[in-house]
Amino acid sequence: MKKFFFARLLQAAVVAIVVGALCFVLMRVLPGDAAMRIAAGRYGPDARIAEAAEKVRLELGLDRPIAVQFIDWLGSLARFDLGHSLVTGRAVAHELQVQLGASVWLAAAALLLSLLIGPIVGLFGGLKPGGVADRVGLMGAVTFRAIPPFVMGLILMLVFSRQLGWLPPAGFGSPREILLPALTLALGLAAMSSRVTRNAVAAVARAPYFAFARYKGLSEPVVVRRHGLRNAAIPVVSYLGLQAIYLIEGVVVVESLFAYPGIGHALVHAIVERDIPMVQGTALMMGLMFVAIGAAVDLVTLWLDPRMRRTA
Amino acid sequence: MSTFDNISFKRPKTGIGSARLAGAGLLILLGGFSIVGPVVIPSDPAAQDFGASLAPIGGDYLLGADHYGRSLVARLAHGARLSFAMAFLTMLAAALPGVLLGLLAAWKGGWTERLLEFVATVVLALPGLMLVLLLLAFAPGNYGPLFLGLALTLWVEFYRVTKTTTRTVLAQPHIEAARMLGFGSRYIFVHYVLPVIGPMIATLSAFAMATAIIAVSTLSAISVGLQPPTPELGSMIVELLPYYAEAPMHVLLPATLIFLLVLGLQLLAQGDRA
Amino acid sequence: MNIQVPSDVSVSGLSIHSAEGAIVSDVTLALGRGQPLTLLGESGSGKSLVAQAIMGNLPPELRATGRVLFKEADLLKETPGQRRRRWGRSISLLPQEPWLALDPTMRVAPQVAEVHRYVKGRAAAESAMAAKKNLSEVALSTAEGLYPFQISGGMGQRAAIAMAHATDAELLIADEPTKGLDAALRDSVTARLRQEVERGRLLLTITHDVAVARALGGTIGVMRDGRLVEYGPSERLLTAPEHPYTKTLLAAEPSQWERHPGMTSDKPVVAGCGLEKRYGDKVLFSGLDITVAAGEIVSIAGASGCGKTTVGNILLGLTNPDAGSVERKAGLSSSRFQKLYQDPPAAFAPSQTIRRGLRDLTRLHGKEWTDVERLLDRLRLPGALLDRLPGQISGGELQRFALLRALLLDPAFLFADEMTSRLDPVSQKEVITFLLEIVSERRVAVLMVTHDRDLADRVSTRVVELGHAFTC
Repeated sequence: MKKFFFARLLQAAVVAIVVGALCFVLMRVLPGDAAMRIAAGRYGPDARIAEAAEKVRLELGLDRPIAVQFIDWLGSLARFDLGHSLVTGRAVAHELQVQLGASVWLAAAALLLSLLIGPIVGLFGGLKPGGVADRVGLMGAVTFRAIPPFVMGLILMLVFSRQLGWLPPAGFGSPREILLPALTLALGLAAMSSRVTRNAVAAVARAPYFAFARYKGLSEPVVVRRHGLRNAAIPVVSYLGLQAIYLIEGVVVVESLFAYPGIGHALVHAIVERDIPMVQGTALMMGLMFVAIGAAVDLVTLWLDPRMRRTA
Repeated sequence: MSTFDNISFKRPKTGIGSARLAGAGLLILLGGFSIVGPVVIPSDPAAQDFGASLAPIGGDYLLGADHYGRSLVARLAHGARLSFAMAFLTMLAAALPGVLLGLLAAWKGGWTERLLEFVATVVLALPGLMLVLLLLAFAPGNYGPLFLGLALTLWVEFYRVTKTTTRTVLAQPHIEAARMLGFGSRYIFVHYVLPVIGPMIATLSAFAMATAIIAVSTLSAISVGLQPPTPELGSMIVELLPYYAEAPMHVLLPATLIFLLVLGLQLLAQGDRA
Repeated sequence: MNIQVPSDVSVSGLSIHSAEGAIVSDVTLALGRGQPLTLLGESGSGKSLVAQAIMGNLPPELRATGRVLFKEADLLKETPGQRRRRWGRSISLLPQEPWLALDPTMRVAPQVAEVHRYVKGRAAAESAMAAKKNLSEVALSTAEGLYPFQISGGMGQRAAIAMAHATDAELLIADEPTKGLDAALRDSVTARLRQEVERGRLLLTITHDVAVARALGGTIGVMRDGRLVEYGPSERLLTAPEHPYTKTLLAAEPSQWERHPGMTSDKPVVAGCGLEKRYGDKVLFSGLDITVAAGEIVSIAGASGCGKTTVGNILLGLTNPDAGSVERKAGLSSSRFQKLYQDPPAAFAPSQTIRRGLRDLTRLHGKEWTDVERLLDRLRLPGALLDRLPGQISGGELQRFALLRALLLDPAFLFADEMTSRLDPVSQKEVITFLLEIVSERRVAVLMVTHDRDLADRVSTRVVELGHAFTC
């Protein structure tokens, strides 16, 4: 238990350091005056920016050794002092608050939808490997896996909003607007988890303990409920840890595509506009979301599988 | 009751061979299009002809023309070539260090391995695309950071798989037996390790190429990757999207091409063991 | 009650067919109260299929014909549903390798209790109490709250017996109940099965181990290639076997072998002095002196996990001792020290044909291919096997190839690490016979590790007993 906790804590620290370091370098290699940019990042762009830049230059001592400056930089990151956007001038932390909620909703909706699709398709395939359901599931999985999320998103947008006019193509605020981006991600996630579920179900059905539960005289529903579900769920849940990568990357892509006002959208915007404090803030949030999903997966796995607790 | 298991009963046919074959066939066709296409198609993918804006498929232009009147068949061929080339180079840049470092870690162990493991952990702390995005912030729209970022995230998989597989092989009794029989490390590597890791690296390479193709087109589509007028498949889709009502097939063509490229690579990589 | 005790289970003319034809033919046997039946045979002999036909869990692609009478009911005429309703009620199964048959994610007690709860339909609290009682009957009260990965193989087997008690079924089918257990655990499991018989349960046991059949008594059926080649009361069958295969099988038991005469010892080929090895803070052995001279076989005996293999590896230089030293006779090249492995397929590269491996070996050491051919004749290995992969050759033959490979290098010292423990008794005897012949012909020094005390006693010049410091 502690071991998993510390591993995730360490990961969060690494995320912060990697993001912080890249943005630190970015701040200094971009053409133009670094002090000016930092001043704008701190106080927002206004009329007295040149004055503020002078103050920053003195205060931060941009002539100090680079290592000292870097530690300073990470220090403010650790205090969650993320500075101000170079574009809007508002505090990065403030902007993130709104966006984070939107992204978390999207990720959660996508994950939930994918769990409604993937494991159920996989279950039918795994109960009868090689059967019709298995083949159809396989074809679907192979096809959907080969479609990049942005193409999937475009197809759904064209079909559901342009052709059928059922759902809005972009925006945020109502469940109708979250549906298309969430479905885009869910289909990709389900393509993968359906196969993992299928293999897990097939493996459990072949397992000696599953057969033995029958030989003990238990009826089929009891065998499945007491010895099937938990054992088959373990690999599916651990696989969610890997799917977190797809989910986070997908959130960035899909938010940009559907102009969904989340952190991913903001990140891409910040990169295009080279708004470094925003790049840092949004990348950090996305990274921490990734760590949080990993931690949640750890917890569920620990609860499901007593063998994991042995090492904890 | 499995004493009898070693005698095989009727086994369901897996058909891995046929799926692999289909993947290879698809890739040969697409590869041919991307290599031969740019050579034999006379039109320049950047040449504009406003008279032919959104020309239909099958007219003067074989696959129609885009909103600037640029030949779509030429743009698709160049786009496919670009995707293949980027994917192949990225794969090489990831596979070479990944495999070599994996072998090194498995053979040496100790501090070498611990150091490499640490680097891998750092790289994997963030989802790959995030790292690529952060690097792209240095120079949006350029090949350099795109290529570097992708290679940087993809080498880890090669490293990990090579290391664990090599380690498993080296721990087997038949390696100990071979050493005692007097065979050297070179012989053991060539005859015992390579045959095991070879197919795995081939599979990973196909996956890495598929990942690279998806990433390159995705980043262009969200306008942080390669920029127009580069004939890149992802940006072609986005460029043509506003004209979907007039020319729906024009939008779907580059999308289909990406789908087929990725499908071919994934089928080749693992048959239907999805 | 009749004076002539009727058999409670009788099988007559049982055949089992696959799509390709019969794989078990015309098996007739019976068992009754106080008369357990043991089916003895190698893997692939069809003994498990007979048990599956009685249990009713044959793979769907197989079809059984004949009659299986259990209390006047012909089981083969029943529907799959009817057969399944017998499981846990009138027929109970003791699975092989029960640590795999227990649900890895559920504690032991609920796995017993669920029989009471869901098969017998008792209340939850009552079921838990009954399960506690079942577990204490097999001295497993301490394991109630443990998960399967926390208990040993012997405990797993007892947990399975507790579940059989919970079902209270009349007929108990034990499928290779001693597979994977060492001699001491094997004896305790057979003793428990004996108790079941004394309590009036009907017992059918499937085993490859003659010792198990002997300990259980009752009736023995010997199976080979899908046929029952011999069938009779155990006292008669074990002392006066009639069928040649039964005779070979019984003669292959190490306890029935002639004692191999000790040899006059030469100078030691390899000697370990004051050896010590520890894992963490556990001392495997310390102050161990061991010498092996040319022409002698020294065996190391001891419970599993006590460092027997480590001793051999230290003498070979594969492992460094934590204390002590190893001395080899001067002037011997390192390639004249060789090892024979427990699992023959693991000792060969899986993707390399035997011919290729031997050809590369002869080239490396400047030998001639005729040397290989001479050894093939000596070890009676058909040349056709050379072009196969290791996975396509039987364990006994592959182990002889391992011997051949070592002999090509004119070994002075061989470390045989449980080299026959994965082989059936008949192949074991063949391989050991060859080893003994080679030792006396070539004056090789052999260190043998085996868990089989009878085998060690029969073939070795000396047996070194390794530590009782702890049991594993």
